[in-house]
Amino acid sequence: MSDHDLLAHLARFAGALREHGVRVALGDELDAAAALGLVDLADRAEVRRALLMSLKVRHRDRSAFDALFSRLWTADAPGGRGPSETPRANPRPGRFHGPSNPSPRALLPAGAAAGGEANAQAEGGAPGYSREALLRRKPFDECTDSDLADMEVLLARLSLRLATERSRRLVPTRGRGQADLRRSFRRSLATGGELVSLARRARALEVPRLVVLCDTSGSMDPHARFLLAFILSLKRAAARTEVFAFNTELVRVTPWLRPGRIGPTLERLAAGVPDWSGGTRIGESLAEFVSRHLQETVSARTTVVILSDGLDRGDPAVLVGAMRAIAARARQVIWLNPLLGDPRYRPEARGMEVALPFVDRFAPAHNLESLERFLTLIAA
Amino acid sequence: MQEAMDACAYIAEPAIATAVYLAREMRKPLLVEGDAGVGKTEIAKVLAQITGTELIRLQCYEGLDANTALYEWNYQRQILRLRMSERDGQDPAQLEAVIFGRDFLLERPLLRAITRREGPAVLLIDEIDRADEAFEAFLLEVLSDFQVTIPELGTIRAEHVPSVVLTSNQSREIGDGLRRRCLYLYIEHPSLEKEVCILRAKVPGVSERFAVEISRFVQSLRRRPTGRPPGIAETLDWARALVSLHRDRLDAETVEETLGCLVKDERGARELKRAEVTALLAEAQPAEAAAG
Repeated sequence: MSDHDLLAHLARFAGALREHGVRVALGDELDAAAALGLVDLADRAEVRRALLMSLKVRHRDRSAFDALFSRLWTADAPGGRGPSETPRANPRPGRFHGPSNPSPRALLPAGAAAGGEANAQAEGGAPGYSREALLRRKPFDECTDSDLADMEVLLARLSLRLATERSRRLVPTRGRGQADLRRSFRRSLATGGELVSLARRARALEVPRLVVLCDTSGSMDPHARFLLAFILSLKRAAARTEVFAFNTELVRVTPWLRPGRIGPTLERLAAGVPDWSGGTRIGESLAEFVSRHLQETVSARTTVVILSDGLDRGDPAVLVGAMRAIAARARQVIWLNPLLGDPRYRPEARGMEVALPFVDRFAPAHNLESLERFLTLIAA
Repeated sequence: MQEAMDACAYIAEPAIATAVYLAREMRKPLLVEGDAGVGKTEIAKVLAQITGTELIRLQCYEGLDANTALYEWNYQRQILRLRMSERDGQDPAQLEAVIFGRDFLLERPLLRAITRREGPAVLLIDEIDRADEAFEAFLLEVLSDFQVTIPELGTIRAEHVPSVVLTSNQSREIGDGLRRRCLYLYIEHPSLEKEVCILRAKVPGVSERFAVEISRFVQSLRRRPTGRPPGIAETLDWARALVSLHRDRLDAETVEETLGCLVKDERGARELKRAEVTALLAEAQPAEAAAG
C-alpha cells in the first residue's frame, strides 16, 4: 500500500469520526499521519493506539472511535476498500436526524388559553404601575405572545446584572491589593530607582460558572419558552454556561444555544431533543449527567441550576444518588421551581421531596421578578 | 521503551509505552488524563529516570501566573546592587546591563526546562486542569516555540527541547488548542494481571498469592457503582500496610481495620458494610470459597 493510499484512508476515517460527532481537526490528522509513519502498520492494536493518541480522542468518544475503527480500519488493506460502507448509514439517533418531535405545544403562546382572567386584572387595575413593573410580576403561564416579546427585551438587560465573584488570579489594580514588585520596580526606573509608589495587584473579578439543567417535559411546557429565553440571556452574560435539557433522557444543548432570536432556537431544540414535552425521569437524567458530564463541567466553583417542577416518575433512590454526587462537587445547587410561585404549593412531589436535602437554595421561577432575585443568589 | 520502563519498576501497558515512544519521536508534549491515582505523574518520573535526566516539575494551581511559572527578577538583589553602586558612581548604562543580567534572574520551572544546558530535561506540568484558561493560553505559546521573551534580556531559545508531560484530573475540560498541540493518552485503571505485577514489583515481601488476593478485592471494589474507585496508588498503600502488619491473607476483620488506606471518603467507608466486605472477599478468594 502506498503512502498516498494511507493518507487518503486516514482522511476518510477522520471524516467518518467527524460525522459521528468526534471533533477532529486537520492538525490532528497531520499528527496521525506522522504517528502512523512511526509505528508498525501490520500491528492493528498498535495502529489503534497511535490513532487514539494522535487524533486526541477524548475518553467519552472512545466507544464511537472503536466502532468506526473496527469497521473502517482493516489491517491488511487500509486503502480503497475499507470505507466503502459509508458511515452515513448509521447517523446518531436523537441528533439532527432524530425522531422529529416538534411539539407544537411548547411553541404556542403558552398561557393563551389559561390566562384570561389574570390578564384582564393585570391590564385593568393598578394604575400606578408601569407596564414594565406589571410584566415583572406576571406569571409566565399567563403571558401572551406580545408580553413574551417584551419580556425578552427586559431579560436581555437583566443578565447584565449577573453577580460576579473574585477569582484567585491577581490582576493590576489602582486601588488596594498586594504589592506587585515586578511592576513597582519597573515604575521606579522613571524616578531613578526610588520606589515612590507601590504598584498593586488584587484578585480578578470573574463571572460565575454555571451549569443549567432544564426540564423540558410536558408539565414544564407553559414555562419552557420563557425559561429558555432566560437561559439564553444568562449565556450572553456568562458565555461559558453549559446547558443540558432533560425529560426522559439527557441532551447537551449548549452548542445549539446561539445568542439570537428565541423562536428559531426553540424550534431547533424541540426537533433535536428527543421526547420534548414528553414524560419526566429526573432521577435517570441527572444520573446520566453525573456519569457523563459532571467531572468535566462542574468544579468546586460551579453553580448548578436545576430548572424543574420536580414531578418525577422514576425511582427516588436514583435521584438521591445523583443529587448527592452533584452537591458534593458543585459550589452550590440552586433549584428553580416554577410551581413555587403559587403560595399554595408545597414541595410534596416525591422527586422534589427527596432532592431538597441536597439543594442549597430553593427558589421560585414563575415570573421575571423571581428570576431577577435568582441572579443575586448566584453570587452569595 | 517498554523494557526500559519495566526496568524502572513501572509496569507499562502497551498504550503507555507507545505514547511515550511517539511523543519522543514526534517531539510533542504528551497530555495524560485519567482518574486520580492511576499513575499519570509517574510516567514523567520514569521517563526522566530512563533518559537519565532531570525532572522539572511545575505544579499547577488556581491563580498560577507567568511570574511563578516562567521567571522573576530578584528585586531585593537588584535594589541592593543599585544602592551599592550609587556610592561608586557607576555608569548607568553599564549598571542596567548588570542588574538585568542572568545573575539577577530567578528561573522558574518553565524557563529552567528551556535553558538547561546539560541536555533535554523532562518537564512535568502537573494537574493543568487546576490552572485557569489564561494560563493554558500562555502555556500554549511556550510549548509551541520553546522560546521565551524577557523584555530586558531579549528572546531566550531552548538549548534543548525538553520532553513535556502534562497531566489532568479532568476537573475541567482542557481547551482544544492545547489538546491539539499534544498527543493524548487516557489511562484506565490497571487490569488484574497488571495490578498484580505492580504489587509484586513495588511492595517487597508480598507473595504472589496474596498480591492476587489484594488485587481481586480492589478490582471488585472498583466495579461497585458508588463511591470513588480506588487508584493503584491506594492499592499500593493498602498492600504496604497489610505487609507491615504481617498479614498474609485477607479476612473481614483485617479489611475493616485497614480500609482507611483504600477508601478515603467518609461516606464510602460508611457504606461499605460488613456484608458487602464479605461478598467482596468471597469474590477475591474464589479457590478458598470453593474449598470451604
